[in-house]
Amino acid sequence: MKLEIYIIVLLYFSLHISAAQVATDSVKSNQLQEVIITGTRTQRSVATLPLPTQIITGESIRKSGLSRLNEIIQEQTGLITVPDFGGGEGIQMQGLDAAYVMILIDGQPLFGRSAGTLNLGRITVNNIERIEIVKGASSCLYGSEALAGVVNIITKKPEITEKLKTKVSYKHASFNTNDVSTTVEYGKKKIGLELFANYFNTDGYNLSDNSFTQTVEAYSNFTIQPKVKINFSEAVNLLINSRIFNQNQDYKSEVNVEKYSGESQINEWNNSLLLNHQISDKFKLVYDFYATNYKAREFLNDANNQLFDESNFNQWFYRPEIRTHYKTGNNIISFGTGLNVETLDRTFFETKAKLNSEYIFGQLEWFIKEKWNVLVGFRYDNHHQYESQFSPKLGINYKWNESFSLKTSVGYGYKAPDLRQLYLDFTNSAVGYTVLGYNVAEERLAELSSQGQLLFSNNFSFSNPLRPESSVNLNFGGYYKKSNVTIDYNLFYNIIKNLIDTKAIAQRTNGQNVFSYFNVDRIFTYGLEVNSTYKTSSNLTFSMGYQYLIAKDQTVVDKIKRGEIFARDPITLTSFRLKSSDYFGLYNRSNHTANLKINYQIPAIKTAVNMRFFYRSKYGIFDSNNNNILDKYDDFVKGYFLTNLTLTRDFNNAFSMQLGVINLIDYKDETNIPNLPGRQLFTKIEYQF
Amino acid sequence: MYKSFFLKSVLALSVLSLLTSCSDDDNNAANVSLETKTFSNLYAPQTGGQGQPVGGAFTKFSFSQNATVTDDSWDIAFRGTTIIVNGGSAIGITDEPTRTGNGAVSIVTNTLDAVTTIPDISSFAQDATNTYAIPTGSGNGWYNYNSTNNLITPIAGKVFVVKTHDGKYAKMEIISYYKDAPATPDATALSRYYTFRYVYQPNGTSF
Repeated sequence: MKLEIYIIVLLYFSLHISAAQVATDSVKSNQLQEVIITGTRTQRSVATLPLPTQIITGESIRKSGLSRLNEIIQEQTGLITVPDFGGGEGIQMQGLDAAYVMILIDGQPLFGRSAGTLNLGRITVNNIERIEIVKGASSCLYGSEALAGVVNIITKKPEITEKLKTKVSYKHASFNTNDVSTTVEYGKKKIGLELFANYFNTDGYNLSDNSFTQTVEAYSNFTIQPKVKINFSEAVNLLINSRIFNQNQDYKSEVNVEKYSGESQINEWNNSLLLNHQISDKFKLVYDFYATNYKAREFLNDANNQLFDESNFNQWFYRPEIRTHYKTGNNIISFGTGLNVETLDRTFFETKAKLNSEYIFGQLEWFIKEKWNVLVGFRYDNHHQYESQFSPKLGINYKWNESFSLKTSVGYGYKAPDLRQLYLDFTNSAVGYTVLGYNVAEERLAELSSQGQLLFSNNFSFSNPLRPESSVNLNFGGYYKKSNVTIDYNLFYNIIKNLIDTKAIAQRTNGQNVFSYFNVDRIFTYGLEVNSTYKTSSNLTFSMGYQYLIAKDQTVVDKIKRGEIFARDPITLTSFRLKSSDYFGLYNRSNHTANLKINYQIPAIKTAVNMRFFYRSKYGIFDSNNNNILDKYDDFVKGYFLTNLTLTRDFNNAFSMQLGVINLIDYKDETNIPNLPGRQLFTKIEYQF
Repeated sequence: MYKSFFLKSVLALSVLSLLTSCSDDDNNAANVSLETKTFSNLYAPQTGGQGQPVGGAFTKFSFSQNATVTDDSWDIAFRGTTIIVNGGSAIGITDEPTRTGNGAVSIVTNTLDAVTTIPDISSFAQDATNTYAIPTGSGNGWYNYNSTNNLITPIAGKVFVVKTHDGKYAKMEIISYYKDAPATPDATALSRYYTFRYVYQPNGTSF
């Protein structure tokens, strides 16, 4: 690896001498007003939108040299990537779990949360134009799942340019990681075509002592995204977007001393048809049809190559939707209606599970006076399998002066019980416990009882349907922008009711419990987020971000108040009663996270230095003193700093080269942070013609 | 200085009270003489398990003798994670010792020191057919089982107030299931070795 670095560095600087003469600075310093579409589904300026938002520009993604979405997300203020088993990572937002964050590609939801988390590593960042993030409950527009917020990945749109454009990039990084991307664009008269393809492979890495299994096993994947744009007339256009994703990863397991190996495969397919019809200056109609399929298969073979274990997951989702936008003056009234059909067939489900719903939503963007604007929205989801939901939202924006505006919003968010929580029928073969989905629990329990397999039952009632988890979200913030400074802050508060968790419903004759899912807890999170950028000159930009977060379980807070929670003294091992101040909060939440990013452009050598520093304060990932809560006597993951550095060299408008180091200081915590593999080097070249 | 004076005066007072109250009111008798004892490494092996039928003799313990016993003078008995009391009737498990006493147990959520009175009589349970006075299973009785590291950990704040076979009382807290009570047991720790703290009250109803 060392030799590789030398060669790369040498190559880098020798190239730089030969190309240093080429002048012209392509960096534009005057930015247009930032526009966001995810908050309202209309074009809306960030300054007037009364919701907390964040935009990651394609340029900043390019400058970082990173390849997958999880790497980009973990560099953003207030977004924590949380590792799931199997090496996947989801997003924690405003202190809420990854299961509550909706991930969209070009406005269409991604599926395939086999254990609640949607793995961000599935998404390549090579064709991303920008990423829009709306924080806080957004069910008023997006329905279930958009409880903590929405991440919308907007990929590059085909342009009708009448000439063939091609872009190729290649990246090589530590752990024998390779990332190849190509985009071909072509347009003629009324039709624009774009084809994006990406291939990624890596050997993975190992942070454990185990020589058979790795922390992240080797995998390879490809993404193909063809897009077609047809302008039938000035007023009517059609967009066809497809995405095909395929991944193969080694899958290994050691049970006692037996070694098993196999593979874990993912096949994903997304297809969307979008027909825009501008009926008049004021009135626009959008017909939107989306279909997606996520298929995963895992298997393990024993030493004799006989199948030992296999699991399958096959999820389909269809959604036709119609939206209208009506404009009067600056005000926009939007309406939409649609239909969701979702099916899931998986191992541990007795039959294929189905979810159906119809919905309508409406929204008013009302610019009352010069200084005030109001955003009112609602959505009603008529669910067939659980309680229907009404999700309202209200936002107010007050323009203090030309450079400062105040934003406040209140909204309702919910997440429907997922199909696993309703239909699972799983018995652990090694230990012998059973987990039953809420909708099948009563029937299966009766079966187990008639077979004489139950010691006793706790007699829970399953007569009322399992309720969706729901939240109320409050935001109060401000946005300041003046010449070379922007400051964006937001105070947030979320309370989630009816949180779904498992409870023991019976005990089997083998002494093991039978579990099912119930609405049990109430949690709350609150905090402050601040983002600011400062441009000292056209060549030097600082940006800083900070989040303060408190996230707690209300049930635990109440129990401690009543003196019902104890901990064990680590030395004497005797129990003592916990005080309110001893409670740290939910797992995987840090009180403080911060980042500092410096971008320095050196025009003389056409090089950009992009340095990023990150801090995360201590957090807990499990209870170590056996009271099932995280208190200050538990073991914590130590707070840490990370540094990433990328150098980008533009030789002319067509060719660029990058060198980078991720985790420069080589910080590692092998036992606690499986998604932090230590220092990684990379180099990337990009060419367009 | 102050402390020793305090202790002496308490001692003097209690001796005085012993001398003066030879009545039937023995509620506050000899409080300071009650000693918190720690019994270490009570070995409670079992046969079978992991799908096989569980068996083997229970290890029987007497609070008054501060020792394991083999006769009928036991108060509670251990086998693996199962704990039974010398009171009630047979549960119906293999190698179960005969119950000759009238023991029972009440499980209290508190610290050992803070339990000073005998809980309400209705909270005491005895073993019976298919019923354990101390419920079995992770999270139900006295321990939690962690399926990732396979460790059995006593739940903090669980105190057993035991009515002994002969009608006295003891309060106890299990602090470890592993040999020599390591603070953080690992996979190599030997299991089924109980360490517990207890206070035995030979003649009263408060601790």
